[in-house]
This record gives sequence, C-alpha cells and structure tokens, in this order.
Amino acid sequence: MLDAIDKTLLKTVADLEGLPKGAYNIRKNGKLLSRQVSANIDIESNAEGTGIVVTVKPGTKNESVHIPVILSQAGLYDVVYNTFIIGEDADVTIVAGCGIHCGSSEPEGHAGIHEFQVGKRAKVTYVEKHYASGDGRGRRSLNPTTRVFLAEGARAEMELTQIAGVDEANRVNEADLGPDSMLLITERVLTDGDQSAVSTNNIVMKGAGSRANMISRSVMKGNSKQIFYATIDAQNRCFGHIECDAIIMDNGTNETMPSLKAGHPDAELTHEASIGKIANDQLTKLMSLGLTYDQAVNRIIQGFLK
Amino acid sequence: MLELKNIYFTIPESEEREGGRRNIINGIDYVFEKGKFYAITGPNGSGKTTLAKLIMGIYPLSQGTILFKGQDISPLSITERAKAGIAYSFQQPARFKGITFRDLLTIATGVDDERKLLEILGRVGICPLSFLDKEVDARLSGGEIKKIELATTIAANPALAIYDEPDTGIDLWTIGPMVSLLKKELAERQTTTIVVSHNRAFLEAADVVMIINSGRIVYDGNLEGAMPLLDDLSVCTYRDSCEGERDAGCYR
Repeated sequence: MLDAIDKTLLKTVADLEGLPKGAYNIRKNGKLLSRQVSANIDIESNAEGTGIVVTVKPGTKNESVHIPVILSQAGLYDVVYNTFIIGEDADVTIVAGCGIHCGSSEPEGHAGIHEFQVGKRAKVTYVEKHYASGDGRGRRSLNPTTRVFLAEGARAEMELTQIAGVDEANRVNEADLGPDSMLLITERVLTDGDQSAVSTNNIVMKGAGSRANMISRSVMKGNSKQIFYATIDAQNRCFGHIECDAIIMDNGTNETMPSLKAGHPDAELTHEASIGKIANDQLTKLMSLGLTYDQAVNRIIQGFLK
Repeated sequence: MLELKNIYFTIPESEEREGGRRNIINGIDYVFEKGKFYAITGPNGSGKTTLAKLIMGIYPLSQGTILFKGQDISPLSITERAKAGIAYSFQQPARFKGITFRDLLTIATGVDDERKLLEILGRVGICPLSFLDKEVDARLSGGEIKKIELATTIAANPALAIYDEPDTGIDLWTIGPMVSLLKKELAERQTTTIVVSHNRAFLEAADVVMIINSGRIVYDGNLEGAMPLLDDLSVCTYRDSCEGERDAGCYR
C-alpha cells in the first residue's frame, strides 16, 4: 500500500516509519489512502468531499492524530479543507505535513486549509512540516492556511516548518483569541535556489487576558526570497509579541514587516526583528571549538531552525 | 611551548590622521613555558586582548611568527589552532538562538554521552546542572554565560588555555572558585594558562605577571615586582583630554 517514495515522504513530514498508532488519515494524490479513528477521536470526510472533519471528544488527554498528505502524481494540484473540533478540556497533538515527490517536469502542489476550533480550556499542539523532493523539474508549490479560533482559556501551540525543496509557498496563518487564551506560533522556513516564500500572519486578540507569541525564523540561501508579514490586532487587555529573525546566506533577500495595533489602552504589544548574515562572533566561537567555517555555518543554521 | 617572535599587529590610523598606521602590538618577543600560569594586565587599550586574539588566530599577524610546540602556527586558521590544542575564552561570549550549553560542550569535546557530559560538568564545578539544556542566548545573564564560556574552554582539554577577562560579570563569590579551578586544571593536566585580567585574584594566582602598555611587554615577573609599575599605570593618562579635576580619583 505504501511504496518506497511514500515511506520516505511520511518519515520526513510526519516522523512515521509506517502506519501510526491512534487516529490517522493519510491522503495520497488527492484521495484517501488509509484512515483509522479511535474511541475519542473521530475522522469523517466533510460533506463536500473536499477534506476531513476531525472531532476530539471533550476531556480527551494525551492522544494524537496524524494527517499527512503525500503527492507523487505529476500535474496534480491538491486542495484540501480540514476542520478540527477540539472538545473542552482536551489535550491533543495533531501532526500534519505534506511531502511532494516530483519526478517529472509537470508542476505539483498542495493547498491545505486547516481550521481549528479549540474549546474552552482545551490544548492543542499542531505540528506541520512541508517538504518536497525528486529529480523532476516541475515547480512544487505548497500553500498552507491555518485558521485558529481559541475559546476561553484555550491554548494552541503551532510548529510550522518548511524544510526544503518547495519552489513557491504562500503561507497564511490567522488566529482569533478568546478570553485568557494563549497562542504560540513558531514558523521556520528554509529556502534555496530561486525559491520564494511569503508568510502572512494575522492575530486578532479579542478576549481579555489573551496572550500571543509569534516566532519566525527564516533562512534564505542561494537567490531565494522570503517575505514575512505579521500583524497583532489587540482589541482587549492582552499581551502580544512578534519575534522575527532572518539569516541571509549567499544572495538571498528578505522583507520583514511586523505590525502592532493596540485598540485597547491595556494592550501590551512588543516586537523584535532582525535580518542579516550570521554574526561573526558566533562563527569565531564555534571555530575556536574546532569546527571548520562550513561546519560552524551549518551548526548555527541547524540550531536557528531547530 | 608558545613562542612569540617579533610580532606586530598594525591597523590604519583614525581618519583625522589620514594615511598613518598604528601598531596595536608593537614588536613582542616572548616565550611562554609549559604548565605555567600567566596573568596579562595593563591599562585599557594597551593591547592585551589583541595579543590574546593574535595567539588564537582571530586577528591576523601583521608581522612576526608564532611557534606552538615548536610548530609555526602563524599561517593556521582558528580551527587548526583549536585542533592543535589552543582554547580561547571570550570576554564577551557569542550568544546563539537554538544552541544549548550541552551542544557547545559536545562540539568542544566530541562527547555526547549524558554520563560523560555530567562528569565534565562535575569537573568544571562552577556550572549548575540546570545549565546543561539552557540555550546560550540573550536570556542568560552576563555571569551565567561567562561560566559556560569558561566551562567549554576547560572541557576541550587544551594544552594552552587563554581566558580574556574571565571575571567580567562574575559575582565576588565565584572568582575564588574560578581561580582554584584554573589552578587545579594546570596542576592535573599541565595546562599552560594565560589570563587577561585586572583582577588581583588572578594576578596573585599567577606564576608570572606580564604588564602590557602601548603594545609592548613592559614587565614580566612576580606580582611584588609589578606593584610599583601597576601603581604608576593607574595614574590617569586621560587628564589632558578629560579636563576634569586635577585628581578626581578616577582610575581609568
């Protein structure tokens, strides 16, 4: 059922050696490949047949859902709409990811539109990895969108990673925070060659006592380009922070635009942004511990994107 | 074990004196002996840190030769000098996002085994266990990062260890243990130790006190013999430009 390419893609985007334990839904080339539900986590195709609805029962603890997507069919652009309904007081981990293997000159792509409705006091950890491989020259594009709605006291930690091989990415993250909720987004994007990536983030802090932290780490190698937009719109007493760091290697370019809007007198908003080459004192330090220049560069980038 | 032969480090003079050049290190000849403790001191801007960085290869020599264990290391890179057995502790250590103290120790020693790393921490003594998985980033205090810096230097088991102002940011209660630690490493492993410092605790611990002024060694010997010169050098040399009180007691 899983061929060698499928297995490599699954290992890279979802750390899976084979089929996972617990609930999962594996989509291959636009179609369902395999699905399993658990006592507390249900997965159903949505009414339009364009994606899935994952429903986690209230109070479910320490369970996980894997929903990887793999693409290896030339010329296919797969669009999927997934909805996650996380019941009150639940604590779950969702592992998503898309792996593209492109073996021809035809373009391939995937757009995953993921919506999260996180119930009161529930906690969700969402891990998403994007990766493309293959010898084909077809353009590989990955355009993920996440929309997060946090109810009172809910918490979401999102780790969004684009590892390698993606020619074009248009990433959108939107969040809507209720009272005392908390959102932590960590986005890591590595581009190389002539690749480009745009990340647009809009975080709306509606509830009193809500907290948001958006961390972005970008590395541009070759002639690649990345653009990062992040807006925190504070409509209540809240705390929000944006931290965006970009490392330029070779001839990469970057534009970073953090933006803070305080629509309430008790909103506390901060941001820090930096763009530049690897700092010389970091390279010197690692070389003084015995690494060569190239090893030091790799180690610093590896840590930065960890 | 380390021989400096007529070394110079020259930089272009500041803009107002166009075209001129200035010797930061102005012809130093010196032989450091294996297993001895050297303290290098002198006024700010005298060339102490520059000398230390020339030995590690962080700055290129403008002229002269450096021999380490009989080998000419002048053309070697920082990496090659590190591999030859020289370690360097920076006055202002680099901070990294996503690299932990554990990572630095592993890079310095090649050891990633948890038990062995704990042994190294025990040996270094001044770093609490809780440091091990801390990221070496901007959240660390000045004292914490200096302890980590010292620990990675010692952990590399160097034949020659250079410490540039290791006491900066360190609390009074840690300086004593830090001096004892360097002495212990020296006694057990014959580590030739060079400390750049103004701190009396290091000057007292040293076998040889060296005073650098204007890029030259103006004294080397025991601390007692250095005292008259140290008193002289503590007199303000900036009074003309500062135009302050005749003697404001400002020891610059």
